[in-house]
Parts: sequence; structure tokens; C-alpha cells
Amino acid sequence: MSIRARIFAVIGAVVAAAFVQTFAILVLEGQRKATNEAMDRALSRYENQSQVMQLVVELDSVLRAHLMTGQPALRDEYERLWNLYDRTITLLPQYLEEPAAKKEAAGLDAAIRDWHRNVSLVLITQRPTVPDMPQLLEQMNTPRMHQIRGMLYAFQTRERNRLTDQRNSANYQYLIMALVTLAIPALSIVMLLILVAILARILLDPLAAVAESARQISGGNFDVVLPPASSHDEIGALVRAFRDMSTAVQRRQRDLTEGLAREREMSQMNAALRTKAEHEHARLQATVATVPAALVILEAPSNRVVLQNKAADVLVGREPDGDLAARQAYWRNFQATYRDGTPCADDDWGTARALRGDVTVGQELIVKHPNGRTIPILISAAPLRDEAGAITGAVAAFQDITNLYEVDRLKNEFVSVVSHELRTPLTSIKGSLQLLLAEVPLPDPDHRKLMDVALSNTDRLVRIINDILDISKIEAGKLALTPRPCDVQDLIRQSIQSVEQIANGSTVTLALVVAPGVPKVLADPDRTIQAIVNLLSNALKYAPARSEVTVDVRPEPANFVTLAITDRGRGIAPEKIGQLFQKFQQIDGADTRQFRGTGLGLAITKALVETQGGSVGVRSEVGQGSTFTLTIPVARQ
Amino acid sequence: MKVLLAEDEPDVQLIARLSLKKAGLEVATVNNGIEALARVAVERPDVILLDWMMPDMDGFETCTRLKADPATRDIPVIFLTAKVQESEVAKALALGAAGCIGKPFDALTLGAQVIHILGK
Repeated sequence: MSIRARIFAVIGAVVAAAFVQTFAILVLEGQRKATNEAMDRALSRYENQSQVMQLVVELDSVLRAHLMTGQPALRDEYERLWNLYDRTITLLPQYLEEPAAKKEAAGLDAAIRDWHRNVSLVLITQRPTVPDMPQLLEQMNTPRMHQIRGMLYAFQTRERNRLTDQRNSANYQYLIMALVTLAIPALSIVMLLILVAILARILLDPLAAVAESARQISGGNFDVVLPPASSHDEIGALVRAFRDMSTAVQRRQRDLTEGLAREREMSQMNAALRTKAEHEHARLQATVATVPAALVILEAPSNRVVLQNKAADVLVGREPDGDLAARQAYWRNFQATYRDGTPCADDDWGTARALRGDVTVGQELIVKHPNGRTIPILISAAPLRDEAGAITGAVAAFQDITNLYEVDRLKNEFVSVVSHELRTPLTSIKGSLQLLLAEVPLPDPDHRKLMDVALSNTDRLVRIINDILDISKIEAGKLALTPRPCDVQDLIRQSIQSVEQIANGSTVTLALVVAPGVPKVLADPDRTIQAIVNLLSNALKYAPARSEVTVDVRPEPANFVTLAITDRGRGIAPEKIGQLFQKFQQIDGADTRQFRGTGLGLAITKALVETQGGSVGVRSEVGQGSTFTLTIPVARQ
Repeated sequence: MKVLLAEDEPDVQLIARLSLKKAGLEVATVNNGIEALARVAVERPDVILLDWMMPDMDGFETCTRLKADPATRDIPVIFLTAKVQESEVAKALALGAAGCIGKPFDALTLGAQVIHILGK
């Protein structure tokens, strides 16, 4: 039953109580009326009876008086009184309920009437003739009257008792009524109080319990027992809702506690990590500070220097002060060029590239500061990333390679000086030998052979010096080429001319195949001839007797002309192919002496071709032969 | 044909001289650029062979002076270079040299080379 219903019930009960009370009051009123009426009746009865008694006494008295005096007024009085008695006694029975009383009254009435008739009237009638009235009275009236009086008194006494009883009874009833009148509202009040108390209990107890539970819960104690929730009323709904809320709060409390615990754990971990990070940072600082290379750390994407070690300060020629902003400005002022003089854009610095995610190793730049300070440096830079892989900065190492440049320069100087120095005596030797060979007759073939040996070795020395010088120039980047449009066939023809001596001496044949539509190429003629000669002489060296060396010229790939020089020699093992074009590589040491190479030929050829924008390549199969390819860019019209 | 050879190495002088003689050319030799200029003033050659590296005055400066002097401007100059630097050849040609012959040269064909260059 819902609260509302209960309240209505209470109100109903109140109303019912009011009705009951009213009804009770009405009933009581009726009762009171009845009692009053009974009382009235009793009183009337008593009054009547008293009146009767009094009338009888008065009748007797008047009779006596009349009889004694003989006054007619008294006789009238007696008659009046007797009429009155007659009237009155007639009224009496209606007040009497009990048959005994009625009977007694009747008896009394009979006796009185009998006296009246037989005594009073007789006496009255006889009065004038009676000599001794008192005596007669005494004889006739007094006993009768005595008897009557006695009856009357008895009657009256009974009546009085009755009346007293009646009165007591009425009083008792009145008392009861009063009590009931008091009790009914009192009971109503009590009942109402009880109902209200019950209602309050039904309403307030759960509410109080809920309030107490709320207090407990807010204090942190979740072990509360909630009152049972009736499923029908609002309190039940409240209790259920409260229970759910309590559960939810408990859960949330638990989550919060867990969350707090986790947070604490996390912050502990963070503290540990922070310590570790600080430690690492300190290590990094120490490393950066002490490492002999100039280290710079930049932040992305601004390219600003955030850390610079002392070596870096020294490199840029600054006092190692703490002024980071000044350092950053200083770095910005550097202009860079590549070794050949072409400018290097700020974006192309290895540092800038690292900020874009590219790792640079050994970028060679010449940096110049407006104050005139020029330093050749080697930049190695790599991006720094965070856990997500995003670029947060870059670390760069700079190496001042002024020394290296100096060493290089000295080496080149040395090489050029030496080769110059070497050429001069070689000129003398070669010249002398040649002139002698021309002038002096040498009939002995062995002698001629000796001269040949001397001459050819001189030439070999010259070749070695040339190769060394070329390599030195290539490495110094000082290989100056002057490309111009050339006819490939022309270049090949000149190359073939150069190797005539080798070709003539062997049984190897040279075949030239030129595809149609081969355009002019952009090449430095002397140097390209040098490259082709190198490949041709190699091919002729490795070609077996009576085999063919093929030179194949095609206009491919697009914008290039490819020369493919094929020999059917013993081929090159796959693991050696990678090293072929490197310095001082020969297939095996024995070849060096047999084929009189310097080991530099292919390296020089590669450099010469690549500097002109072409490429070199090789395909070989052991036992089948080798094909060396050389591509030259096509001259644009 | 008269050839003036400026070369500081005596051995090379000998070789060159003999070689050119074989080719039928008359050779006068000096040791450096200063002597060359002096000699040119005395006896005008048909061609001057200049070594690149010489003490006191090198080939480059000598040629510059020769070409600066209207009296000697027209005399063809051929450089003998060790061809150490490509730039030598370029410089030489820029100066107005008729050609370069690299060292070590072919002693048997030196004369022919000179004539060939002059013929161009």
C-alpha cells in the first residue's frame, strides 16, 4: 500500500473516528435523554406519590378538622382534595413500570378509596349524629389511617429508595456517559496518535534509517543495513533507490580508491622515471660536454640550438659562455658551400635534413661566417624522436676537417709535385732509350729485346704515374672535364687506335657493332677515350687466343648511349664483382704482373664516366666471359 | 725551322734537342724564362717550346710576357707540360699557346708533333 493510501487511510480513520465520536455522542445524548426521562419519570412518580401521600395526610387532617368542627368549608376542601387525589392517583400508574409497584399502588389506591368510602364519607355523613367524634375517629379512622399511612410510608419509602436507586443509577449512567463522552475523543486521540505513530513509523523510520545510512556512508562506512523495501510504496522506492545509490557510491568509492592507488603508483613510477631521466640527462650532459667532437642538439621544428658542447664552441670560434641565444644567432650566420663551391641551402644542411627525419653521415661542407672565419666541416646528424616516433629535435656532430683538407692538399701537392718530379727523369730515360734505339744498330735480337723491355717499362712507369695522379685528382675533386658533343664512333675509333699495340700483338679480334640512330654524346673526349681504352685493354688482356672482343653501341637507355665491351675470357666470380671498380683491385695478384695493370684503371674509368653523368657496369659468368658497360649521356641539341 | 727551347732540366734539354734535330729542326736551348726572353730579343725563333715549371720565371709568366709584347706576340708557343693539372692546359691555351705536348714525350715524334701543332 502506498504512503498516499496510508495517509488516506489515516485521514479516513480520523474521519471515521469523528463519525464514531459523533455517533457515540448522539447515542450518549439519546442515552442521556433516556436517563433524563427515566429520571423525570421517577421524579414525577415520586412527586406524584408524595403528592398522594401529602394529599392523604391532608385529607385525613381536613377530614378530622371537618369532623371535629363541622365546617362546611372543610368539607369542600376535603372534596377538593379528594378530587385532586383522584386525579393524582390516576396519574400514578403511568409512572409505574413494575407490576409489583403497580399492584402496590393499586392496593394503596384501593385502600385509600376504601377509607374514603367507608370511613371518610361515612364519617362525614354521620358527623352530625355522632356524639363522640374523637372517639369514633379513634375507632374507625385512626387504625385505617394508620394502616394507610403505613402503606403509604412503605410505599413512599420504597419509592424513595427507588428514586434514590434511580438517581444513583442515573448518576452512574451520567458518570458513565460523561466518561464515555470523555473517553471517545480520548480514545480517538489515542487511536489517532497510534495511527500517526504507526504512519510516522512507516514513513519516518525508513527515512531515518536512510538518513542514518547516508550519514554512515558519508563517513565512509558502507556496511549499512537498509530497512526492507516494500515494493509497493514510495518509501520502498526511496529505500531501493537509496540502496542502489549506496551501491553505486560504494563502487565509485572503490574506483576512486583504486584510481588514487594507481595514481600514487603512477606518481611513484613517474618520480622513479624522472630520477632516471634526470640521471640519463646528466649522463648525456656529461657525454656531450666531454666528447671531443663538436656536438650540437637542435630542437624541432625551429632548428634552434638547445645544447652545444665546448668543442662546438671552439669549432665556431666562440668563447664557451652560457649564452645560448647568442650561440644560436651565431650558427645562423654561417653560410655553407659544398666543396666544389656550389652553395648549400640552409635546408640542405645535414642538421636541417635530420630535423626532417633523414640521417646524414659525413656531409662535407665549407662554412663561412661573416667575420671571415671559414672552416671545412663534416656534419653527421640524426633525428631525435619521442616514443610516438615524432621528431622532437636532432643531434649533430661537427668535425673540423681543416686538418684533413690540409692533409689532402698536402697529399695532392705531394702527388703533383712527385709526379712532376718523376716525369722529368722519365722523359729523359724514355727519350734516351728511344733515340738510342733509333740511332744504334742492334743486330742481336736479345739486345733489341732488352731495349724494348727498358722502353716498355718506362712507359709502364709513366702509366702508373698518370693513374696515380688521376686518382689523386679524382679524390680531390679536381678532375676538370670539358664535355662537348662527340661522335661515339669517333671516340671508339681513337680508343682502338690507342690499343693497337696490344691488339696487334694478339690473335684476338675486335668487332664493332653500332646500332642505328646513335646520337652524339656529351663527353670530354680525352677522358672518355681514356675510359674506353681502359675497358678495351682489359678485354683484350682477358680474351683468350683467337676469340673476339665485341664492342656494342646502342642508344639506350633513354638519353644515354651504352657501350658494351664483351670478352670471352674466364669471367669474374660473383663475389669479386662488387669490388671490381674499387682502387687497387685486380682479379688476382698474379694478373698485376702479367697484364701490367696498376689496379687503378677501373676505378679511374668509373670516376671519369660518373663525373660526366654516366655509369659503369659489369656482367660476368665464370668460364663464359664478361661484359663491361659504360653509359654516356646524350648531347642535347 | 728555328726552335727555342726553354727547359731547366739539362737531360730533357738533350733529349729534346736530339729529338728535334732528328726531325730536321734547329734548336736553341735556354734554362728559364728570363733567358728565353733575352734570347728571343736576340734571335727570333719560329716556335718557342716552353717548359711549364722553371726557376726564376716559369712558363706561364714567360708566355704572358711574350704575348704581351707585340714584337713576340706572333711567335707560336708550345708548352711542355707534365700535364699534372688539367688547368695547366686550359691556362696555356687561354694565354694563346698554340698547343701542349705532355711529358714524357715521345722522343721519336717530338718534331712531328711540333710541326703538327704549328700546322693547325
